[in-house]
Amino acid sequence: MAVEQLALTVLMGILLVAVAGLVSRMVDWRSYTPLGGASAIGGSGYGGGHAEKPAGIVRWFTTVDHKDIGILYGIYALVAFFWGGAAVLLMRAELAAPGFDIMEAAFYNSLLTSHGITMLFLFGTPIIAAFSNYFIPLLIGADDMAFPRINAIAFWLLPPGAILIWAGFFTAPLGLGIDPAQTSWTMYTPLSAEQANAGVDLMLLGLHLTGVSATMGAINFIATIFTERGDDVNWANLDIFSWTILTQSALILFAFPLLGSALIMLLLDRNFATTFFAVEGGSPILWQHLFWFFGHPEVYILVLPPMGLVSWILPKFSGRKLFGFKFVVYSTLAIGVLSFGVWAHHMFSTGMDPRIRASFMAVSLAIAIPSAVKTFNWITTMWNGRLRLTAPMLFCIGFISNFVIGGITGVFLAAIPVDLVLHDTYYVVGHFHYIVMGMIAFAGMGALYYWFPIVTGRMYQRTLAKWHFWLSMIGTNITFFAFLVLGYLGMPRRYATYQFDGAIAPLAQVTTLHQISTVGAFIIGIGQVVWAWNMVQSWYEGPEVEDADPWNLKDDGMFGREFQWFEAQKLAADGGEEEVATDGGGVRPDGGYRRAVRRVDDE
Amino acid sequence: MVSEPDAKTFDRETLLDLVVNAIPLGIILFFILVFALVNPFGSDPVNTAIQFSIMIVTGLALLVLTYVSGKAVSEAEDELEEQGLELSEEAGADGTAETTAPAETEDDTA
Repeated sequence: MAVEQLALTVLMGILLVAVAGLVSRMVDWRSYTPLGGASAIGGSGYGGGHAEKPAGIVRWFTTVDHKDIGILYGIYALVAFFWGGAAVLLMRAELAAPGFDIMEAAFYNSLLTSHGITMLFLFGTPIIAAFSNYFIPLLIGADDMAFPRINAIAFWLLPPGAILIWAGFFTAPLGLGIDPAQTSWTMYTPLSAEQANAGVDLMLLGLHLTGVSATMGAINFIATIFTERGDDVNWANLDIFSWTILTQSALILFAFPLLGSALIMLLLDRNFATTFFAVEGGSPILWQHLFWFFGHPEVYILVLPPMGLVSWILPKFSGRKLFGFKFVVYSTLAIGVLSFGVWAHHMFSTGMDPRIRASFMAVSLAIAIPSAVKTFNWITTMWNGRLRLTAPMLFCIGFISNFVIGGITGVFLAAIPVDLVLHDTYYVVGHFHYIVMGMIAFAGMGALYYWFPIVTGRMYQRTLAKWHFWLSMIGTNITFFAFLVLGYLGMPRRYATYQFDGAIAPLAQVTTLHQISTVGAFIIGIGQVVWAWNMVQSWYEGPEVEDADPWNLKDDGMFGREFQWFEAQKLAADGGEEEVATDGGGVRPDGGYRRAVRRVDDE
Repeated sequence: MVSEPDAKTFDRETLLDLVVNAIPLGIILFFILVFALVNPFGSDPVNTAIQFSIMIVTGLALLVLTYVSGKAVSEAEDELEEQGLELSEEAGADGTAETTAPAETEDDTA
């Protein structure tokens, strides 16, 4: 038997080498030009090679321009955001009362699964890709991404991925027997291995596609930041957002292929009777190890770039440079490395060896430090600064505030004794929603407002933006603070009902807190409707931005490279290219003088 | 003992910047020592090896990345200083605008 297996392994190895050899003979790799039309070498400045684009919808299907692809990522992510948001509002409506009132458990489970996977894989990762695609080449002075066509392919893998992930919702009414997956986003075995529903297989395939997409994007960003930087940009003055994207891309490169492998193993278990995750085989706990070895870096894949966005935007409205810039850079890299040594803190209650568990606690406590360092840097940046409470700035400050709560509640969970009590309760859900909604979504919204003038050439409606912020901020804190308290009361997560024995938890308080959460969730929902209206209407009808410096950044020497590019575009459009060379705008002509009073567009 | 170029690269200021990563490294080291000295669960060849390797491998990886990145940034700083360019995030393109051809003046619709 062992000999047969060895022979099979050797044969498989030979086969793989033969395939690799065949492919390398058939494909002339040099035939691939790294840029979509523009010269890759010697091109000074932002040419982009996108001079002629087809008109209409064809442009969007064929584009390899990083800015267009960034917009596509953004629209895709926002569609997913509304899908995931609608799912959770239905769930919160169901949870407003203890019993089954408006849906059955199966549908609740489907919504729960879809909400989690959609928000993390179809909203979180793509919205970050939207910003990085559009702005990284501008920030580093590159012509485009290193591989524009791979960039386009990476995006176009996402729509089929989303359709597959959501497929069960479309096919269920048709009576085909293909229902939405009810596995929760963690897809824990044996539950996910034993659900005989083809909807689960479709979801796994869809997830696989999104993973391939993210990996292709990550390779592209690493290549771009390493090789396509402008002559004047090196590691010492690389902007903080690019640093976080570089770190995130490295994490994706190591984490997502592992998820892909685990998904394939799960598909094999489901359809071909393998026993990777069976009790008599590799054990269900193997899935948890593989999943969280991907899953915890995924947390930082989602949170590092938003931290970069805030580190980039916050100083602009504080009138000061980012305090301890290099501290933020090195702590970002530290988080990147340490994130691979903490995965089993999600598994403290699985009965693993206590010695191993203790080690994961140690590294989990250590990773709190770089995150805290960033928080103090942001606070210190604002300290004694001249704050301008524009919509992007409000979202940045809200981000920090939410991170303080979300981060500190996480430190408690890193301690084994606390985790064993709070595991699988709403406390955990409250903690990570402060991070994913309170941080990631907030940073995304702040960046959307900050760069809205560059992307659309127009300004948004400021009053509506402030409504959006305050509704989001108040709604987030109402909803998720109630979650934390629910967790202390022992409310288990993922349940569609809470009609439990009064001896376990006080049902009256639990009901009240659930109702408070539901109200908070709808407040968030209303805020996002205000935001959607603002974005769409302002894009069509907003006042055109006359000045390339809509945020008065030149006054503080904060006129970033992306706005310098924007200025060059505007000057070129006016036929005044000559002026650009003398109007970089980053250095204060007055040598440091600051006006005591200044007009601010959005305060 | 650092070599001569390394000593120049890792000057006082750079070392001060890198202190930020020394803190998590210190925490990991602290736990390695604690777990070596206090051992309520007894020793087992496989589990104890995993226990220590999680901390040691992660700590070493952090140490190496901190060294490599600190070196890269420090050398890049020297490079910028030699060219008389600013170190700030915003200044890359500005500095160029004053010294050499502007990096981002071409219109992509041209």
